[in-house]
Amino acid sequence: MNGIAGHGEFFQPTNLSAADAEKATEWVKKRVDRRELDLGERMDDVREHMWELEKEGEILVHRITDAHKPAMVKTLFGWDKKIPTLQLWHHKSCGQCGNIPGYPTSLLWTMNQLGMQPGRDYLDETDQTSCTAWNYHGSGIGNVESLAAVFLRNFHQAYVSGKRMGHQPGHFYPLVHCGTSFGNYKEVRKYLIENATLRERVKKILGKLGRLVDGRIVIPEEIVHYSEWVHVMRKRIASELQKIDVSHLRATVHMACHYSKMVHEDAIYDPEVLGGNRAAVGTSMAAALGAQVIDYSTWYDCCGFGFRHIISEREFTRSFTIERKIKVANEEAHADLMLGIDTGCVTTMDKNQWIGRAHEKEKQYTMPIMADIQFAALACGADPFKIVQLQWHASPCEEVVEKMGLSWGESKKRFEAYLEEVKAGKIEYLYNPELALSA
Amino acid sequence: MATYAEMREIFDDITKDFRYEHELNGCLNCGICTATCPSAHFYDYSPREIVQLLWTENVEQVYDAMQEKIWACAQCMTCAARCPFKNSPGGLVAIMREVAIGHGLQSAKDVLRPFGRVMLKLITTGNQLSPDMIQPDHFPDWGPNIQKVEGDLKTLRKAIPMKTLQTTDTAWEVALKTSVEMYTIWEMTGVLKQLETMDENLFDVIEDFIDEKREEYEEMLEEQEEAE
Repeated sequence: MNGIAGHGEFFQPTNLSAADAEKATEWVKKRVDRRELDLGERMDDVREHMWELEKEGEILVHRITDAHKPAMVKTLFGWDKKIPTLQLWHHKSCGQCGNIPGYPTSLLWTMNQLGMQPGRDYLDETDQTSCTAWNYHGSGIGNVESLAAVFLRNFHQAYVSGKRMGHQPGHFYPLVHCGTSFGNYKEVRKYLIENATLRERVKKILGKLGRLVDGRIVIPEEIVHYSEWVHVMRKRIASELQKIDVSHLRATVHMACHYSKMVHEDAIYDPEVLGGNRAAVGTSMAAALGAQVIDYSTWYDCCGFGFRHIISEREFTRSFTIERKIKVANEEAHADLMLGIDTGCVTTMDKNQWIGRAHEKEKQYTMPIMADIQFAALACGADPFKIVQLQWHASPCEEVVEKMGLSWGESKKRFEAYLEEVKAGKIEYLYNPELALSA
Repeated sequence: MATYAEMREIFDDITKDFRYEHELNGCLNCGICTATCPSAHFYDYSPREIVQLLWTENVEQVYDAMQEKIWACAQCMTCAARCPFKNSPGGLVAIMREVAIGHGLQSAKDVLRPFGRVMLKLITTGNQLSPDMIQPDHFPDWGPNIQKVEGDLKTLRKAIPMKTLQTTDTAWEVALKTSVEMYTIWEMTGVLKQLETMDENLFDVIEDFIDEKREEYEEMLEEQEEAE
């Protein structure tokens, strides 16, 4: 008997209309969610083991309590994740602070606009190091023990940081600004929970530093990236703070690899954002502001940062970022801007456009690059220079500012006048600077 | 050229790392990792090949791959997110790089020479990058529009409205106590030893710097005690 489906000579087209074809396959789509069939069932949720270790007295879990006003989200396999929205300890990024300072300033400015009070609802202080993972991924110098010790030192400091302001231990919860720190800390937390030998070795180090609580290492209940805070606050940011219409802007988003590909089961996915098929952060903020989010074929690609490459093999970095990101965002998406959620990606895509002339003399591909929170702050009325600090960007961010109806030239003049005041010692701060000096 | 025994020792050091069991679970040679790898676009590098060499215990070829290929990996971990076997070729490369450094391979020294400045910054301050490292002169390929407002770096940094960021030689102001704690971590985890193997001169500079900072910290503590 000739079959009605299958390959080879038996194959016959069904000749169904588009609507009937949709109906015929609907039940399959409903039942077969690729993610359900994927690794979720075969993968351990490391957080469950974390609670067991705490019961056994091995570790202390820094909890997200009601005081942190958490919001619940779903991650890749539909697991719950708690995102604290208040009492946050800003764990800064060396790449952002050194190179894209408008990233953290826009974040703190937005928090202030939402009525958060520095010293009570958030803290930015000097007692923290970088995660050191940029160096590790770039050079191989460092090891899992040093990465774990740095993680536990910084997160212990977050746990006790409120003490000098009269708060209880655990008052401030770490909010990690960098995507690589976020990925690295999650990986290291997993190793710490799974490996008793590693725990014993780093415990000795933390003991020497005076960074144990009742003889235990402190591990956070969740590791939280700033873009996750932005994601859960996006509707408030748009409804309470937005002043500028951005619905005419076409925005592309670059997803940081170390956000969604390292310990990928912990990244946020939301059915309201790109059908839940791609990690939600970044995109969700742009969509909440009303910008046109444009998908593109190389969405999943890395930016070309490479850790070592951006420093000592930049030919790779710039070729990859131009070919797979900037050019595609131009030619395929016809985007007005590209938003990032991480340090290395924003740097890579922002700084490596001019050199494209070396390859394509006829046409230079350019694209304004900034972080989701910088774009949000602009839409909410933040000053492009004083707050969003776009003067540090090499890509043509002035084009976006102008398209938003703001005068780049006037803003620049105001900022240049402000620089004279800065020279005279009249500096404006987002918080009382004394709060920062921790030790 | 290394002897087989030396290559075997290197191979065994890779497989002894406790992460090895996490990162390598089998391989069907499907090549998804390589298809999605950014470095495979531009280098003679394939994560599938790295996994296969380790999986089949090809001691000589693993040693060969450690000379150059492992340094092509961009550490984006796209391969790890895509592998149906839950392998992490990028994670395996990280282990191989550590072992290459531990054994003082000349190829690793050559690759890491331009990284010295970052290393110096990281080990001594706990920051990996600082504003004074990103001056237009250092990056001619970033073009003439690298900074959109004229002005000296110090003033421009003072105009950032966060106290911690008003620095030029670190990304943010790191407390002295914090740096001193960091030095203890470097020492106790063998990172300084790794550095000495890679670049003795850099190690000497860093050791002197650490000694100075520790003395400074001791003096600060004494002053605080006297004040109390």
